[in-house]
Amino acid sequence: MGLKNISLSIPEGAFVVIAGMNGSGKTTLLQHLNGLLLPTSGTVYLSGMSVSENLARSRQMVGMVFQDADSQIVCETVFDDVAFGPENLRLEHGEVEQRVIWALRTVGLFDLKDKSPHLLSGGEKRRLAIAGVLAMEPKVLLFDEPFSSLDYPGVKQVLRQIVSLHESGCTILVAAHDLDNIIAHADRLVIMKEGRIVRDGVPARLLGELEAFGVREPSASRSGGKNPSWLN
Amino acid sequence: MLHRLDVRFKLMFFVFISVSSLRANIFSLFLLTIVLTAALMHAGLPVKSAMKDLRYIFLLLLFVFVARSLSVPGSPVIEIKTITVTREGLYQGAVVCWRLLIVIMTGLSFVTTTRPSEIKAAVQWMLKPFPGIPEKKIAFMMSLTVRFIPVIFDQAKETLAAQRARGIENRKNPIYRLKMLGIPLMRRTFEQADRISLAMTARCYSENRTDPRLSCRSRDWIALAGVVCLCLVIIL
Repeated sequence: MGLKNISLSIPEGAFVVIAGMNGSGKTTLLQHLNGLLLPTSGTVYLSGMSVSENLARSRQMVGMVFQDADSQIVCETVFDDVAFGPENLRLEHGEVEQRVIWALRTVGLFDLKDKSPHLLSGGEKRRLAIAGVLAMEPKVLLFDEPFSSLDYPGVKQVLRQIVSLHESGCTILVAAHDLDNIIAHADRLVIMKEGRIVRDGVPARLLGELEAFGVREPSASRSGGKNPSWLN
Repeated sequence: MLHRLDVRFKLMFFVFISVSSLRANIFSLFLLTIVLTAALMHAGLPVKSAMKDLRYIFLLLLFVFVARSLSVPGSPVIEIKTITVTREGLYQGAVVCWRLLIVIMTGLSFVTTTRPSEIKAAVQWMLKPFPGIPEKKIAFMMSLTVRFIPVIFDQAKETLAAQRARGIENRKNPIYRLKMLGIPLMRRTFEQADRISLAMTARCYSENRTDPRLSCRSRDWIALAGVVCLCLVIIL
C-alpha cells in the first residue's frame, strides 16, 4: 500500500497507536520510520536528521518488532539471536554480552538463554524479538500487530513489556487493528485508510469514529465506559 | 571439559578419529568405542532421543551389513538356493558397520558438546584463508539454514495436515501429491525468506560484523596430544 500526503510529527516519549483495516498502510508507514522503505517524495526526519541520510543510525535508533516473530529470530539460540543486532553494530564482545544479558533480563528470558528459539511459546518468541531490538538500545520502538496469534497470557506478557518500555522513556508506536488490549495505554490514536491519515488525536475523542474506518471499537467504549487496562 | 574445548580443535579431532578409524582393526575399534562412549556419557548425550534421530542411519548400517555378508566370497555359513552368507562377508560387514558407527559417535560427541554459533565461527575461520570466498556470508547462511530447517518442517507438516483434511489421500498419484505439497511449501518458504531479509535489514545486518571469539588454551593442546596418541595407537 502506497502512502499519500502523510504529515505526522511524533514527540519523544509518546505512545501512539496506529489503527486501520488490513491494507490501510500501517506497516508501510512504520517501515518508512527506520528506512526499510524510503519515500519517493518528502522526507522522514529522526531527531532532526533525515532517515535516508544515515540508514544505519536510523535502524539503530528505531527498533522494529515485526508481526511474524519467527521471521525475526535468525539464530539458533536465544542468546545468539539477541546478540545478532549488537554484533551488526560491530560492538566489542564484552559490550555485546553485557547488552544481551541486560535485554534478556528486561524481557524475563534470561533463564532460557541457551534454548532454541524454535521451542519457545508464541509470547516468548515475541519477547525474544523485543529483546533482540532492545539490545541495540533504540530510542523508538515500532510494533507491527504485536498481539496477533497470541493467547491471553501471551498478550499480557507482551503488553506488560511494551508498557514498561514506555515507562522507561522509549517512544512507542503500535500498529494494530484490534485496539481492545492496547488503547488504555496510548496517549494518541492515528487512524489510517487507503494510505492516508484520516484521524489523529486523543484516543477518547476518536474511538467513536473507529468503525467508520473498518476498525472495531473497543468493548468498554461501545458501552460508554472507560477502557480498562488488561494489566489490572 | 569437552564443552569448553576450542571448536577448531574439536573439528580436528573429528577428522583425525574418523580417518584413523578407517584403518582400525577389531582391537582398535573396541578401544575407540570405549573412549567415545565415555566421551558421550561425559557430554550428557540424551541417549533415547539420539537413538530415535539415528534410526534411519541404523537401517542404513543394517543394509551395508547384509550387502557385505552376501557379496564377499569365502567359506559359506548359510546357503539358501543361490544366496550364500560367508564368514568373511559377516566379518567385513561387521567391521565396516563398526567403523561407520565410530564416525557417527565422533560426530555426535562433536555436535553434543559444541554450540551452533561455535560451529559457525569455526567454518568462518576455516574459510578465511581462501581468497574470493565470502566466509562471513557462507557461515551466516549455514547458520540460518540450521535455524530454519525445523520451521520449514513445521510448515510442511501444517500444509500436509490441511491437505489431508481436504482428502488428498484419496488421490493416489504421488506426483500430484508431491506437487500439491511442494508448490505451497516453496511459496511459503520464499515469502518467509523475504520477511527474514527485511527483519535482518532492520537490525542493521551487514557482512562487516563483530567477529566470533575463538581462543585456544593449554587444555586444547593437551587434548590434541591425547587424540594424536590415540590415533597413532589405532593406525600402527
